Parts: sequence; C-alpha cells; structure tokens
Amino acid sequence: MPPVFGVLFDGIAYGMLLFLMSVGLSVTLGMMNFVNLAHCSFAMLGGYVTVTLMNALGWPFFATLPVAFIAGAVASIVLERLFFRRFYNSNELNQCLLTIGIVFVSIAAAAYIYGTDQQPMQLPPYLQGSIHFRGLDLAVYRLFLIAAAALITIVLVVTLEWTRFGAQVRAAVNNQRMARGLGIDVDTLFGFTFALGGGLAGLGGALAIAMLGLDPSFALTYLIYVLIVVSVGGLGSIAGSFAAAMLLGVADMAGEYYIPALSSVLIYLVMLVMIMWRPSGLFGRR
Amino acid sequence: MAEMLLSFRDVRAGYGAGIVLDAITFDLPENGSLALLGRNGVGKSTLILTIMGMTQIGRGRIVWRGRDITTDAPHRRARAGIGWVAQEREIFSALTVEENLTVAARPGRWDLKSVYDLFPRLAERRRNFGNQLSGGEQQMLAIARALMTNPALLLLDEPLEGLAPIVVEELAAAIRRMTGEGANAFILVEQHADIALSLTQSALVIERGRIVHSGASAALLADHAALDRLVGLRLAEA
Ligand SMILES: Nc1ncnc2c1ncn2[C@@H]1O[C@H](COP(=O)(O)OP(=O)(O)O)[C@@H](O)[C@H]1O
Ligand SMILES: [Mg+2]
Repeated sequence: MPPVFGVLFDGIAYGMLLFLMSVGLSVTLGMMNFVNLAHCSFAMLGGYVTVTLMNALGWPFFATLPVAFIAGAVASIVLERLFFRRFYNSNELNQCLLTIGIVFVSIAAAAYIYGTDQQPMQLPPYLQGSIHFRGLDLAVYRLFLIAAAALITIVLVVTLEWTRFGAQVRAAVNNQRMARGLGIDVDTLFGFTFALGGGLAGLGGALAIAMLGLDPSFALTYLIYVLIVVSVGGLGSIAGSFAAAMLLGVADMAGEYYIPALSSVLIYLVMLVMIMWRPSGLFGRR
Repeated sequence: MAEMLLSFRDVRAGYGAGIVLDAITFDLPENGSLALLGRNGVGKSTLILTIMGMTQIGRGRIVWRGRDITTDAPHRRARAGIGWVAQEREIFSALTVEENLTVAARPGRWDLKSVYDLFPRLAERRRNFGNQLSGGEQQMLAIARALMTNPALLLLDEPLEGLAPIVVEELAAAIRRMTGEGANAFILVEQHADIALSLTQSALVIERGRIVHSGASAALLADHAALDRLVGLRLAEA
C-alpha cells in the first residue's frame, strides 16, 4: 500500500478517537467556561471498565461499550455535582488546580488497582486482521473505528443542530445570561451536556485501547491531545473539534512515519501555526 | 385592592457590593403598563435586571402574583411569565432567526405565525443567522423572541435606541399594535419620553437610583415643565 494512504487511513482512525474524547470538553468549556482537565480521566475510566468486563467477567467487547459510556457519564455527573459546580464562578487557575488534582488521583487509583502495565485486550476475531481493497491493506478495527465514530458524529450533529435541546445548548454557549433570562434552565442543561460529554469520552477510551493501549498515564498523555483539539477547533464548535481532531490525528501519524525524529514536536508546531492563524479556533465563534 | 401582577417593596439592588437602586417601591396590575424614565445611567436597566433576578438584592421584597420571588433564579421568573427584551438585544448569533424564536418558546397566543405577522421582515430572514441582521431587525427579533415565551409581563429596555428614524416609526407602530391589545402587562424603558408616555398608563421617573416621580402617564405628558425638570426631555426633537 502506498504509505500516504496508509498514513491517512491511520490518521483518520486516530483522529476519530481524539474527536470522541474531546468533543464533550469543547462543548462544556464553551458553555460554562469551566476548564475540566480531568476530561481524559473519564476516557481512561471507560477503558478500564471495558478491559475489566472483558478480562475478568468474560463479557463480549461490544457489550462493554454501553457500560463504558455510562461509566464516563455517571462519573462526570457525580464530579460535577460534588466539585465542579462550586467552581463555575471561580477563576481558571482554581479550576485547573482542582481538575488536575482529580487527574492525579485517577492515575494513582488506576495504578493502585491495575498496576502500571499496559492492559492486555483481545479484540473479537471479526475485528482483527485486515481486508484488501484495491491494493490497500486496511485494518478491520480501524475501519470499524472510523465507521463508529462517523455514526456518533452524525447523531451528535443532528442532535445539536436539529433539536430544541441542541438549540438550547448552542444558545447557552452563545449567551448564558440571555438563555437564563428566556427561561432555559442552563444548570440542568449543562448537567445533561456534561454527562453526554463524559459518556462519549468513556466510549472513546474503550474504543482507544486496541489502538493506543491503556495504562494509568492515559489520563495525562491524551489530555494534551484533547486540549490541542479543543483550542484549535474553537470552543463549543463540533465541526471545529472534528476538523481539528482529524488534522491532529493525520499530522501525528505522518510525523511518526516520515520524520520520526521530530514526531514528538510536530503536533505542537501544528498547534502553534493553527493558533496563530486562527486564534479563536478553526470555526471559533468568538 | 386588586391582586397585583408585580410589586416591589423597598428594594435595594446593585452589582456585587455596589448599590445602584434603593427604596424602590411600585405596583403593576395585571395587564397594566408602566413607563420607566430617567437620564442615562440612573439605573433603569438595573431595575429591569432586578425584575429578572440578575442583580444582587440588599433588602426589600419582589412579589409576583402574590408570591415572593425575591430569591428566585432568572429562568424561574422567565417561566413564571416575565419576558425580557435586553437593552443590548443579545440575539443568539449562533442560531438562525427561527431558532432564536423557538429555542425558549412556550405555548400561548404568540407563535411563529403571529410574530411573523407582527414583523414580516423576520419571516423573510428566518434562515439567516442572528449576526447577519441589521440593528432594527435584531430589535424586532429580540421583541419577537420574548413574545414567543408568551409572557404575562413584557420588559422592553430601550427598544428604539440607536435605530434610524424610519425604523423607529416602524417599531413604535409594532409596539403600539402589540401592546394596544392589552393582553399582557409591559414595562417600557425609553429615551423618547413622549412615545413611552403615550403608550403607557403610568410612569416612574428614576434619578440616581431612586424614584423621584410616580404618576399617570397622561398627566406627566401634559406637564411640560415637570417633564423637562425630571428627564431633561427634548420633546421638540421627537
Ligand atoms: N454589570 C454592572 N456592574 C457594575 N455596575 C454596573 C453594571 N451595569 C451598570 N452598572 C452601573 O449601574 C448604574 C446604572 O446603570 P444602568 O442601570 O445601566 O442605567 P440606565 O439603564 O438607566 O442607563 C451605572 O452607574 C452603571 O455604571
Ligand atoms: Mg439602560
């Protein structure tokens, strides 16, 4: 297979994962200006839920995915009610300190329970191997990732662009005070959005294991990528997050393939260029 | 005394620790109308925001249909029947005109059809986004959006401010039509005191955060000397 197609294919699959793991943060950051650095801990939780259910209880891979979603959603809503809620009117430094603390707690908890090794995970046979298509060699799991994330993206976009719930979320992101003044219960709306975002992160984390691996450092490693996606994509913009995640996924894969020596810096260069070109994000509205 | 729609009892309000309004007391009956006059910066918008629950209240009580709402959250007040047209319009730029109208709509006699009848220009612009509108269109949308919540009390904060004279006439006519039916109460803040007084039953004049005059709109409109003294009115201009 010509490398450029392989790199693109892997980059898109990777970008899909990044999108799932970051879209919730983009929306909630845009809506409440709350900097939740613990967002990737929800993704990590989803990952551990899936490996536990599969390895310890013998659940099939697909059956674990809804549970990973629910785990991410429940964990995020519990943290929101217990801690985050009190910090909405606080400054960003306090929010960062609180949530980075939660990241370290989640890392320590994961290491305590599961150890620091990579978690083994056996994909079902029908998701293994690759198919050959016009001379291309396409890994089945990555194809599945792209299809699944594309489907979720469509559902998400339809929900946000075509339903009243979506219009209320966009209105609250746009002008929270006016939304409240028209009778929209922004706090409850935000609770739902927060749970949805945490759930998607949990699902993304579960889907990520087979491609990115899973160990306790996951919550911090991918936080960097998620933050880049959110800042490049623009707060509260689904389309922006999607484009930024694709760009980052492909750039990272291309860097690793073509200039391995530079690969760890390349994404930061991409981010720098994008932020200088579009300070409020690709599709940023403010 | 008939049951009042909205009553303020000795309310003190402001932002944070800063007091802007003090000793505010007034009553508004069901379907009543009130002009809120006063020079720039005296606290008219702050009074509107206080009705919406968006300021800090230091003392006093706000009563809505016999129920104390002094500590109610803004969205509860909106749902109880208060419709707010903000001075800065605050259109949702990320929503289309039609989404702006439906996003918080509640059932009642105002629906898409009747607000489009009132403002035909909004119907033409229904698929445009909020930030693609002229100032006059934004103001029409802000009013229509509040009407779509079918409020028992409509708060209009300087709806004619900063608009071209021709648009002012068009909007004033629409406001006259909409309020003339007397189907809901409204409070109108307006620099054009003559327009505000001709549209309302009673008037409050505020100066440095306190009520300095309260009475019938018609009487104040006829008393040029008082008007000039209270609001420095430029009636001749209008
Ligand atoms: N968000 C705010 N925070 C602090 N002070 C404010 C705020 N908004 C208005 N003020 C102050 O409150 C006073 C009254 O303002 P406002 O109610 O907007 O007057 P008006 O609508 O009559 O022109 C002014 O002195 C203004 O500076
Ligand atoms: Mg004002």
